[in-house]
Amino acid sequence: MTHELLKDLSSAEAGQALKLGTKLIIPSGVSLFRLGDQANRLFLIERGRIRLTLPMQVRGREEDVFVEERSPGQTVGWSALIPPYRFTLAATASLHEAEVIALPREALLQHFSANPAAGYKIALNLAVVIGHRLQLFQTMWLREMQRTVEVHSA
Amino acid sequence: MDMLLMGLCLGVVGVVFVALAFGAAMRSESWDPVVQPEIPLVKAGAPARFFSNRVPITPAVPPLQVPIEVLLLQIENHVRMEQAAAESFLASPTQTLLHSKTTSPFVN
Repeated sequence: MTHELLKDLSSAEAGQALKLGTKLIIPSGVSLFRLGDQANRLFLIERGRIRLTLPMQVRGREEDVFVEERSPGQTVGWSALIPPYRFTLAATASLHEAEVIALPREALLQHFSANPAAGYKIALNLAVVIGHRLQLFQTMWLREMQRTVEVHSA
Repeated sequence: MDMLLMGLCLGVVGVVFVALAFGAAMRSESWDPVVQPEIPLVKAGAPARFFSNRVPITPAVPPLQVPIEVLLLQIENHVRMEQAAAESFLASPTQTLLHSKTTSPFVN
């Protein structure tokens, strides 16, 4: 399994980073984290899918609306490395149970200090993950804005 | 004297005839509110239309709503399609791909 966060790391460097984590099994439909929770751990998906949702008012009821789904090899919970360290989405295991590696922030930061070369590569990989999310949602936002403008100027 | 009596009789007969004719006419024009057919009411809010025999009346019942589970699935499908469209744009950024249409029911 190649994790996007550990791309370009040697197998030894990747192994050292993975040793910092703990494997967790998340049964189907069970929450990994909730919106607003303290974000102290970042998760690498080993197996299954993690569903990211946000609450939205639908017909006067608050419903968790699908935002994104992450697959094995991908990362969730990078709010653990970005102040104010609070999750901005909710995450649950999809239809099947999921397996993730939970990496604590403090252990990661200490590892980066002790291994700057590996820390630099992981930070670059994290920038790619965050940058892609930003570009994706910027594009989706613009498409929705375009439709709003069309509706209101028709 | 005879002429006077004859004229008087004819006058009385004429008045009776006119009274009977008037009574008959009034009976035929009378109406019964129970059997009067109802005239369909056009809602006050309906827009004024001219030269049309068919003025649609807005149904009092709102259109059927899909169950909320179906609506949430439609939202999810919409988000997935929008993400796929956004991914296509990011892979090859052009103005055409940025505003490409999907089959989502929320935009059609």
